[in-house]
Amino acid sequence: MKAYAVAYSIALQETLQRRWSFLMERLGSFAVVVSLFSFWSALLGDKPEFLGYTRAEMLTYSLVLNFLMSFVFTGRGWMLVGEISSGRVSSYLVRPVSYQGYSLALDLAQKSVHAVSALLEIGVLTLIVGGLFLPRDPAAWALFAASAVVASLLFFFLEFCVSTLAFWTSESGGPLFCFELFVQFAAGAFFPLDVLPATLRRLLESTPLPYMAYYPARILLGKVPAGEAMRLVGLELLWLAGAVLLAGWAWRRGVRSYAAEGG
Amino acid sequence: MKEALLKYGRIWLRTASMAMQAQLTYRLGSLGFLIGKTFRLVFFFAFVMAVFRHVESVAGYSLEETALFFLTYNIVDMSAMIFFRGVYGARRTVAEGDFDFYLVQPCSSLFRMVGSTVDFLDVLTIVPVLALTGIVFTHLPPAPWTAYAAYFLLVGNAVVLMFSIHVAVAALAVRTHEMDNAIWVFRNVMFMGRFPADVYARPVRLALTFVLPVAVMTSFPAQAFLGRLTAGWTVYALGLSTVATTLSLWFWRDCVSRYTSSSS
Repeated sequence: MKAYAVAYSIALQETLQRRWSFLMERLGSFAVVVSLFSFWSALLGDKPEFLGYTRAEMLTYSLVLNFLMSFVFTGRGWMLVGEISSGRVSSYLVRPVSYQGYSLALDLAQKSVHAVSALLEIGVLTLIVGGLFLPRDPAAWALFAASAVVASLLFFFLEFCVSTLAFWTSESGGPLFCFELFVQFAAGAFFPLDVLPATLRRLLESTPLPYMAYYPARILLGKVPAGEAMRLVGLELLWLAGAVLLAGWAWRRGVRSYAAEGG
Repeated sequence: MKEALLKYGRIWLRTASMAMQAQLTYRLGSLGFLIGKTFRLVFFFAFVMAVFRHVESVAGYSLEETALFFLTYNIVDMSAMIFFRGVYGARRTVAEGDFDFYLVQPCSSLFRMVGSTVDFLDVLTIVPVLALTGIVFTHLPPAPWTAYAAYFLLVGNAVVLMFSIHVAVAALAVRTHEMDNAIWVFRNVMFMGRFPADVYARPVRLALTFVLPVAVMTSFPAQAFLGRLTAGWTVYALGLSTVATTLSLWFWRDCVSRYTSSSS
């Protein structure tokens, strides 16, 4: 466990060392949120609500997305693809650490910095704009936190599965790029899935994708009753267990066929 | 001048051909990127369509007008990706010392850095975007030829502005390693250009017009076509691209003159 803590600490320092890169990255993420919120505001116009979301709820949804984009959608897929393709992954195979654990420690460091920054941005914007919807029920906060943590792990392991394609082909960058884009859209990371036609929404709801952004945001907004929210978190845990098993299986199979090209 | 243009045209064609061959070699990877790019386009378009099932207008724009803004954003963005793709690898080019080779070649180092990589997947994706834009034009009320002229002039102007921004980012890569993700940050800010600038609050709109001119690049052409842009703003857009290009080229020369080749 100490090895992973050291990896986490080093990765944290590395992220914080590149201050300008970090600040600019945050600025870019924030621009996306401002853009989406402005669009929703324009849609709302003088109407009290749109698709069941009031202005305060839509602002909260946009800001929660800012947090979830930083906390959930930051896997280490491209690192794994690069390390397999270049053969650098060989050096991890001979070390007394689990690659998944090591990779998760690095991911956690990145998530920590970005999530704290996202929370600060939300705080500042709330002070400036005001009108944020904040649930009064502590259970909503707790369930949101649980759901966000599981979502983060779910994305990590699903992305890990796709990245292990690099063991079999040097062209896994394309599928990974496709996966990341699809997941973000289908998870509701750009807009609530309520805007989609009912058939398409039901189809997406039968996949693990909405658990990564849409459901956590709805839980925080109090759009889901506590009992239903607990059921959703339970289902999310089941999806996570499946993703962990799949990632482990893909890794073992991949390592067996790994030829250490370029290493 | 003519000879120089022919020379650079030949170099561009040669490097473009090499890039295309590389992409054709990696079929699965290229297919994944192509599907991803197409998916992003289709999903956003479907989103706009889905939204208009619930409302009649957004910030005073109809579905067709909003679609014109969205498609114009894509035309400008994809044009930049096709012609200035090299900037995305600028940091690596400098960090791995390859920039030294660019400096000793009998060709502009800026051209090598910015323009000698072509993404053919964007060439493929821009075709349906252009076709859709044509369809949207036919669904809008008839416009005089001057509206079309203003639209295409401002789209061209937007590509020039994109060029100046890409040159500045490439110059930054030569100057410092601190801002290695500047081009991706710019792409995130460009996200704001997907929607008409009128949806933003006044301070944001001003920033998008005068600080980082995303609105000038993505909203002005469509606004001009729809007759919602005054001649003064058109002159401002043209002046801005002239100043931005001059400044970015000066910045590039300055950064190259300070380049120490320490990484190679």
